[in-house]
Amino acid sequence: MLRNRFGRLAAAVVAGGMLMGAAACGGSEEPTTSAKPGAGASSAAPQEKGPKVGLAYDIGGRGDQSFNDAAAAGLDKAKTELSLADTKELEAGSGETEAAKEERLRLLAQGGYNPVIAIGFAYSASLKKVAAEFPEVKFAIVDDAAATGPNISNLLFAEHEGSYLVGAAAALKSKKEHIGFVGGVQVPLIQKFQAGFYAGAKKIKPDIQIDVKYLTQPPDFTGFNDPAKGKTAAQGMFDAGADVVYHAAGGSGGGVFEAAKAAKGLAIGVDSDQAKTAAADVQGVVMTSMIKKVDVAVFDFLKSFTSNSVKAGNTVYDLKAGGVDYSTTGGQIDDIKTQLDELKQKIISGEISVPDKTA
Amino acid sequence: MAIRTEGAVISTSTPAVELAGITKRFPGVVANRDISLSVQQGHVHAVVGENGAGKSTLMKILYGMQRPDEGEIRVNGTSVTFKSPSDAIAVGIGMVHQHFMLADNLTVLENVILGSEPRVGGVAIDFGAARGRIKQISDSYGLGVDPDAMVEDLGVGARQRVEILKVLYRGARILILDEPTAVLVPQEVEELFENLRGLVSEGLTIIFISHKLDEVLSVADAVTVIRRGTTVAEVSPRDVTARQLAELMVGSELPSPETRESTVTDEVAFSVRDLTVRAPDGRVLVEGVGFDIHRGEVLGIAGVEGNGQAELVEAVMGMREAEGRLLLGEEDISAWPTLRRREAGIGYIPEDRHRHGLLLEAPLWENRILGHQTQKPNVKGPWIDRAGARKDTRRIVEEYDVRTPGIDVDAAALSGGNQQKLIVGREMSGEPVLLIASHPTRGVDVGAQAAIWDHLRAARAAGLAVLLISADLDELIGLSDTLKVILRGRLVADVDPAAVTPELLGSAMTGAGEAA
Amino acid sequence: MSGGTARSPEAGSTFMDRLTGRVRLGGLLALAAPVLAIVFAGLITAVVLLVTGAPPVETLGVMVDYGVQPRPLTLALNLASGYYLSALAVAIGFRMNLFNIGVDGQYRLAALIAAAVGGAITLPAPLHVAAILLVAVLVGAGWASIAAVLKVRRGVSEVISTIMLNAIATALGSWLLNKDRFAVEVAGSNNIGTQPLGPSAQVPGIPLIPGTPLKVDGLIILAAVMGLLYYVVLNRTRFGFDLRATGRSEPAAVASGVNVKRMVLITMIMSGAVAGLAGMPNLLGESYSYSLNFPPGLGFTGIAIALLGRNNPVGIAFGALLWAFLDTSSNILQIHDISPEIVEIMKGAIVLSVIVAYELVHRYQIAAGQRRVSRELSGGPTVQAEGASA
Repeated sequence: MLRNRFGRLAAAVVAGGMLMGAAACGGSEEPTTSAKPGAGASSAAPQEKGPKVGLAYDIGGRGDQSFNDAAAAGLDKAKTELSLADTKELEAGSGETEAAKEERLRLLAQGGYNPVIAIGFAYSASLKKVAAEFPEVKFAIVDDAAATGPNISNLLFAEHEGSYLVGAAAALKSKKEHIGFVGGVQVPLIQKFQAGFYAGAKKIKPDIQIDVKYLTQPPDFTGFNDPAKGKTAAQGMFDAGADVVYHAAGGSGGGVFEAAKAAKGLAIGVDSDQAKTAAADVQGVVMTSMIKKVDVAVFDFLKSFTSNSVKAGNTVYDLKAGGVDYSTTGGQIDDIKTQLDELKQKIISGEISVPDKTA
Repeated sequence: MAIRTEGAVISTSTPAVELAGITKRFPGVVANRDISLSVQQGHVHAVVGENGAGKSTLMKILYGMQRPDEGEIRVNGTSVTFKSPSDAIAVGIGMVHQHFMLADNLTVLENVILGSEPRVGGVAIDFGAARGRIKQISDSYGLGVDPDAMVEDLGVGARQRVEILKVLYRGARILILDEPTAVLVPQEVEELFENLRGLVSEGLTIIFISHKLDEVLSVADAVTVIRRGTTVAEVSPRDVTARQLAELMVGSELPSPETRESTVTDEVAFSVRDLTVRAPDGRVLVEGVGFDIHRGEVLGIAGVEGNGQAELVEAVMGMREAEGRLLLGEEDISAWPTLRRREAGIGYIPEDRHRHGLLLEAPLWENRILGHQTQKPNVKGPWIDRAGARKDTRRIVEEYDVRTPGIDVDAAALSGGNQQKLIVGREMSGEPVLLIASHPTRGVDVGAQAAIWDHLRAARAAGLAVLLISADLDELIGLSDTLKVILRGRLVADVDPAAVTPELLGSAMTGAGEAA
Repeated sequence: MSGGTARSPEAGSTFMDRLTGRVRLGGLLALAAPVLAIVFAGLITAVVLLVTGAPPVETLGVMVDYGVQPRPLTLALNLASGYYLSALAVAIGFRMNLFNIGVDGQYRLAALIAAAVGGAITLPAPLHVAAILLVAVLVGAGWASIAAVLKVRRGVSEVISTIMLNAIATALGSWLLNKDRFAVEVAGSNNIGTQPLGPSAQVPGIPLIPGTPLKVDGLIILAAVMGLLYYVVLNRTRFGFDLRATGRSEPAAVASGVNVKRMVLITMIMSGAVAGLAGMPNLLGESYSYSLNFPPGLGFTGIAIALLGRNNPVGIAFGALLWAFLDTSSNILQIHDISPEIVEIMKGAIVLSVIVAYELVHRYQIAAGQRRVSRELSGGPTVQAEGASA
């Protein structure tokens, strides 16, 4: 979900360092064409057979500490547990056109990579087009249901359902009847998080005050990767009287946690269990996280591919399927866990229908 | 060199400064070639030469601003190498630049100590000590500088004395003065010379750069003449006349700006009525100026620079807002934009040709179009007529003797004189009815100066009205049919160019002549 | 009167003049600078590649092998069309000393509004396209005119105002790109965009390059026409002369009768109008909708390319193609496990080298020019080596 289009402005500076890192990793390897990029914890012995997996990241790629990394984790898991012949990971460039995305997918499909997984809704149109050109290749796309075809699997998440639960948790934990939501970039996907969070909080306390702030507007996607902006926004909410802030802002979330710590407030993480993954000194303020299991979705898809049971069309990772959830690390919400689980069951049973759009 | 045997003892016979075989090349040109110069201690030593002869380069070398390609510099008998001006300052050489480098809104004291502030305890500035030293220097050399005056309140002469004091304050014993009189009126020049005599009587050495020969002869103890980058003569001022010196400088006979018979008609070509120009802050720069210029008449405006001449010209050209009426023939052009005035036949030779007259990095033929971009033969409708413009540029190059390899070279590649000839040729084309000539021969070599004067005379004879602004009093007196003096933005006196001398004109320019 | 007033020829142009090509470089020298720059940038890149353990020659080989294939070539051409228009827009300002940093905001806003208008109306094919182009031009010009008016009336630096206007364009664009306003929703998509253009507004591609089903955007012709127009207007018209004169020396232009304020206004608006077109090849040839995926940052790319091409229409074309080629090759580098950031390093190195190379060539040229003039004149009897010694 999290993308960063403008971060490349600094690339000229940063890239040198990154390349040094890559060199350090790759220095001992033989210069084969199938060298594994990045810090992939892969098995040493290349597999004789099995699928060659192509992965197309959105901007940021592996190492973005966020959405792309979650997908990468799924791929890494598949590498160790499934017998993959080869993997190839490509990432998007800033300011690129649809044609460049198409070309990326095409290069993968043409290079014999099957299946090909596209990370992020930005690939919707290009994937649809390229999938039609390569009917024998299986494609998957995360976060998009618009690209449809007999060889396309759509891996979808019910972020609003997970957000509903953390919204309820925020309302239950708030002593000042005042909470906040920090969105990275104002795009429909993040508004889905906001909608669920809002509904969940209002369910518990209909009069609760909810501040909403988006860090940037498209096409400026730096809101997903700017902790300073996140900190400022969250600080503003805490100063205004909020005591729990939920962020759906990717890399900017670190700033939200810092603000929470400084204000002695609480924060809610996103995507992964951030009470474990955030910087050690701020883990304590993360009372819970809305987990979006992109890694599971990627792994599941690859697994079904190896077992020849790929299903075209939508696979929805919702509460019921365990694709989204809330975390309990740290034990800060143990006291309200029963209430949350009750809501969770109601959603699963369909008794509660969570809106996925902001009013 | 090892031959020198005088040893370390500095006697009065050791020259303060000695230059031997100095050569400096710039890409394509040799600015200085095998220059030799020997300056005695306690002398005012003048270095004279035409513009572009290489005086400034030589002084930049002596002050460490440029390094010679060949040759040796000896100060008080010791061979030195300067990497920067600070090295020159360290051995007691100071430079007073032609353009003052003073901050207007600071006091004299602050200006003098700027960059070498005496400290108390390493932090605070010791104003007391500084003031004391300034007073002492000022008194011992008779400079009469008040350390607490604001620089903006000072006149040009006083500012120059502050510059000199600044250099002395830094311990200079050898002073280089680059064209110190260029900005002064005759009376101030005399004061400056008094100061210089005071300085040398205290044992200081002065190198005085000028191309004003009368002044040189009156103040210098020795004169070195530079021509085309090399020293051609060293003479004693007692042995030469100004004319001989000038011929040494130029290497040929001198031109004269005199115009003989009058061509003035009784037909008014241009008249200015009650023209007032204000600065953006409301200050009056030109006040109630009015005059008529007839066909065939050159109207000269004399004045010390900064008395409103530039603003007057810009107002006439429509480049500056002004009140009052301007009549070109019968037409009131006061509200016209610059372009329309030019189209109506006003030619303009600007004071600063690099800023206002040329596109330095554009070829000559494009410069031909500048200022005439709506007129034939440069354009056809909205299109540039390249062929026409180029053809006419060749004509100008031919008729005005612009020395250039072709019309496709950039204006920047030409010498100042040739640039100016191109401008004059351009502004004379299209049969103008009025020519505004601002310092038309400033910074121009003698040959080009004579040519430009000839062209002005010829155009005047053909009925052109000319408004001439110049700081060169000989030029003003020689060319003008009518001469007016501008002081603090007002026309204060009419002078008869046939009767006036440069000295009288000079006093009129300072206001002292009003009574005379 | 004095030696000090005769400036040395170099003092006439500022570093910025030289950088942005208001100063001409003649003949082969004009070519020498970019070639020098690219060779130098290649060396820098080679060093970086070596340090990171990738073989430089093979890497270049991979890029070229891939780059000359029909499909990537087509992609590069399509990318270059937008780059070219954007760089032209920047160059128009540069030629007059105006820094239109706002091309980015201008083209984005223009593309958004043009896409919305185009999606809402239906007209016969050529008219439909023309209407969309017209809207884009008007919006781009209109947005730029804000900065122009601020500069002329209030003396606000266009650099500052256009940067601000970029930010405002972003906010405005994201407010407009909403389903209550210009945007429509696609079921199941997290993307959001304007109503896709109907077939009558889709400019057919040109099968320019054989061997691939991909076609070159039809609007590449628009880019070429604009380049030609740029050349003719700037070099052959009175207006162009005034514009260049103002860029080279504003005081000289004022003295020559140019109304500088009017020129600022017109130039800025023209720059904005061309900027408005920058997004059109993509909109009308490929995406048919302004969505979250619409490529941002074209305006900044345009600044780099205008610098690279020294505001010369042919130079800009080469710059745009080079940039497009580098961008296109990013995918193939990744396939060969070479970090795509190498492309960004290359671009940065090229821009930097270009600045250095132009400066070096310019100095050489000044010296050569003076030598030539003094050599050719040395036959004359009374010639003085004047000017350079002052």
